Amino acid sequence: MNREMYDLAGWAIKTAKAAGADDCRVSISSDRFVEIGYRQRKPETIKEARQKGLSISIYANGRYSSQNTSDLRREALKDFLSRAVATTKLLAEDPYRTLPDPKYYEGRPDIDLGIRDAGYETLTAEGRHAMVKTIEDACLTKGGAKAISVTASQHDSYAESVVLTSNGFEGYRESTVFWAGAEMTVQGEGDRRPNGYHFVASVRKDGIGSPEKVGTIAAERTLDLLGARKIDTETLPVIIENRNVSRILRGLLSAMYGRSIQQKQSFLADKKSEKIASGRLTLIDNPLIVGGLGSRLYDGDGFAAKKRVMIEAGVLKDFFVDWYYSRKLEWEPTTGGPSNLVIPPGKRSVKEIMKDLGRGVFVTGFIGGNSNSTTGDSSVGIIGRLFEDGEPTQAVAEMNIAGNHLEFWPKLAEVANDPWPYSSMRTPSLVFTDVVVSGV
Amino acid sequence: MRSCTRRSFLKQTGGIASAAAVAPLLPMGWFQLAMADQKGYFESTFGITDDLCRRVLARALAKGGDYADLYFEHTIRNWVMLEDGKVNQAYGEVALGVGIRAVKGDQIGYGFTQELTEPSMLAAASTAATIADAGANQPAGQFTPAKFKNHYPLETLLTTVPIESKLPLVQGVNDKCFELSPLVVKVNASFHDEQKRVMTVTSDGVKTEDLLPKNYLVAVVVAGKDGKYERAWWNVGGRKDFSFYTPAVVEDLAKATVDRAVVLFDAVQPPAGEMPVVLGPGVTGILLHEAIGHGMEADFNRKGISTYATMIGKQVAEPFVTIIDDGTNEGLTGSLNIDDEGIAGQRTVLVEDGILRSYMHDRISAKHYKVEPTGNGRRQSYEHYVVPRMRNTYMLAGPATPEDVIKNAGNGIYVQDVANGQVKIGEGDFAFYVSQGRLIEDGKLTAPIKDVNIMGNGPKMLRNIAIAANDLEMSQGGAGFCGKDGQAVPVGFGLPTCLVKSMTVGGIKT
Repeated sequence: MNREMYDLAGWAIKTAKAAGADDCRVSISSDRFVEIGYRQRKPETIKEARQKGLSISIYANGRYSSQNTSDLRREALKDFLSRAVATTKLLAEDPYRTLPDPKYYEGRPDIDLGIRDAGYETLTAEGRHAMVKTIEDACLTKGGAKAISVTASQHDSYAESVVLTSNGFEGYRESTVFWAGAEMTVQGEGDRRPNGYHFVASVRKDGIGSPEKVGTIAAERTLDLLGARKIDTETLPVIIENRNVSRILRGLLSAMYGRSIQQKQSFLADKKSEKIASGRLTLIDNPLIVGGLGSRLYDGDGFAAKKRVMIEAGVLKDFFVDWYYSRKLEWEPTTGGPSNLVIPPGKRSVKEIMKDLGRGVFVTGFIGGNSNSTTGDSSVGIIGRLFEDGEPTQAVAEMNIAGNHLEFWPKLAEVANDPWPYSSMRTPSLVFTDVVVSGV
Repeated sequence: MRSCTRRSFLKQTGGIASAAAVAPLLPMGWFQLAMADQKGYFESTFGITDDLCRRVLARALAKGGDYADLYFEHTIRNWVMLEDGKVNQAYGEVALGVGIRAVKGDQIGYGFTQELTEPSMLAAASTAATIADAGANQPAGQFTPAKFKNHYPLETLLTTVPIESKLPLVQGVNDKCFELSPLVVKVNASFHDEQKRVMTVTSDGVKTEDLLPKNYLVAVVVAGKDGKYERAWWNVGGRKDFSFYTPAVVEDLAKATVDRAVVLFDAVQPPAGEMPVVLGPGVTGILLHEAIGHGMEADFNRKGISTYATMIGKQVAEPFVTIIDDGTNEGLTGSLNIDDEGIAGQRTVLVEDGILRSYMHDRISAKHYKVEPTGNGRRQSYEHYVVPRMRNTYMLAGPATPEDVIKNAGNGIYVQDVANGQVKIGEGDFAFYVSQGRLIEDGKLTAPIKDVNIMGNGPKMLRNIAIAANDLEMSQGGAGFCGKDGQAVPVGFGLPTCLVKSMTVGGIKT
């Protein structure tokens, strides 16, 4: 616990109330980070800093505002807070804006989430440089003569935050994040210079695994892009690689927020308890995974964290509804947004599934595209490999998949056994049938 | 050094709560004040003297860096939002800090601090210095203020505009939208303003100060019909004075947004596959931003990772195609008086009469290519180091009429509004997302289309620009930004109506 941060947050609440706030939520955050990048076997970038900040949500005369500052000196803050309260009072009243009922703060799990690596303090500049050099070297070695450029990098950070509210909530969080990756460009046909990458991330240093492997996989993924072309427009099975599932999942999630529903911007607003996807899709929000990148004991409202099944066997079970929109919707609140999202893995590998499908496209990246939360319409560019007779045969590019989420997710035919561990979205590869793949 | 200067600034200009402040008229504009024989903003407000800068730069060069710079920033952002008929949310942010960069060849060491005290700045400079490992170098003995033109003159500092003046704008958008159509069921509106003061001091003796305003008014409209809902959004703004936001601007924004929402009930899905694509004028310039702009940023080229790396001097498009990246357009979102490493804002010709002429440079790439920097060195904030970035990117008008361009397409699609885009630099493959458009059938605009991603390849697309019309339009939106290397910077777009012979349209019909 950081006593100084607690004291400052408590003082900010008292000061804001003295200035006329009825209630407030104060968050004090602090972090430090180191980033190192290598290119051409020498450091390309070295960056290091410490940051801090105060955020305050103010409730005054039935009105609301939220303000941030990085100046934490008491005198400056006092001035800042009194002006923030004065600003708030000039807005229109909003009877739905209050701090949450404290009953939702109760029941916070008393567990160690394992999101802080105790060894963070022992990291050295030499160790960081050595890791990045190893990643670069492995990537260059695997890339061979095709390699034009390799950039290897690492980032690590330690963060602390304290949250206090005037109606009794107290929260403290310490976490670490480690990130390592490499990006490679290789000479392709003519002027094409395919660019690929691989990265890993974890709350623990040992979670990022072997640096050699990081560099080697980055090179392999880049070399796989060579010779890409577009194929004819046709209807095919599509396998979306584990790490890329989050991109299409976000289109579904965008319609699951209380705000989207209350503001008539959700194609799922009236679909609760209905089947919106194939029975193979189950989606769980689990904030209590030990070592999860999205793990937390409380959410942005201070609600005690709970595991929730959001979609079960294709049936929409729940929405992400925070305190404010729960009041507007007159619904029971759940939580304002996802923590760790888990799609339970299936039994077969992508390789096995490819063999069964025979011909299709394995999507290893997306480009551009967007999704409309109001209608569910979505369209996104794809990068990947055509597979034929169960084997990858050809890199594809300049192609696209499109459709409405309510028509797309029912086409989910299988979930692979390969959940992606380096994200708060632990998604396995997903297999969809009868997808129009636009090309020539 | 002076203490507590940030606090005194907040008292003077209000920051988050400027309601009580009286807006002083600045008939000469802040820019001219800075050029007059006065202390600069950062010296008078925070006590940042030339001597202090010299000591910090010396620390940044202590291990043999061949160049260093300091980037001081004080930004105040405010935005007010309307939901369910009332302006009932306000947000504010104050960002103050200095970023310190040391450069050795093409290597960068970077540190930043939010405390403008000498010990904190020296510590950050020591971090930056570690990029080099030789004997100390020294900064210039004297700093010379750079002279430049002002491309965003202000009558009033945004921080002195009372919140009471902003609330009616947002409320006005809401009320007008509901007036315009009975189909409107929800309106979200917001007004965003930002005042960014920056000072760059370089080890080779350049010192510049600037004040960058940025503001925009946004409307999001949800319309309902027969149990279905459609949403559209639009925005207007740039580096404007607050007086830009007249009742007519509010009305135009409301109309543009409602029209865009209501038409979507008639939208159809376009066919999938390759077809002619006509880009309407204005915001469709995102196409240039993605298809050629990023690939022409010189860092990608000096590293050999852009598809355009070997194309300077080559014919890449028809002779009527000239593409510009410009920091000098008055009041546009991407305009810059000076870039973030002290180089004057300027107009850079990327493609001239179909021939690739110049990359967009920062100091590092300019040195690499032995050319002058082009004023494209930009960063999101003091927390980030400079990389080459676009400003306002556009293509000059051609000789045809818009009607001719559409007629020549035969059957294809017409792109009206583009929401976002992305490019793969090495391959040149790009995508942009069409939020609104029309089918073109037999050379005529027919049914509306929406939510379609379009794919292409930059060099191929440039060669395929077949006709350009005489209606170049610069996007008047203020919310446009571009992401690169984890940094977002405001950018602008422009395009005349033009025909691209073939691109891949991501529809759902085979």
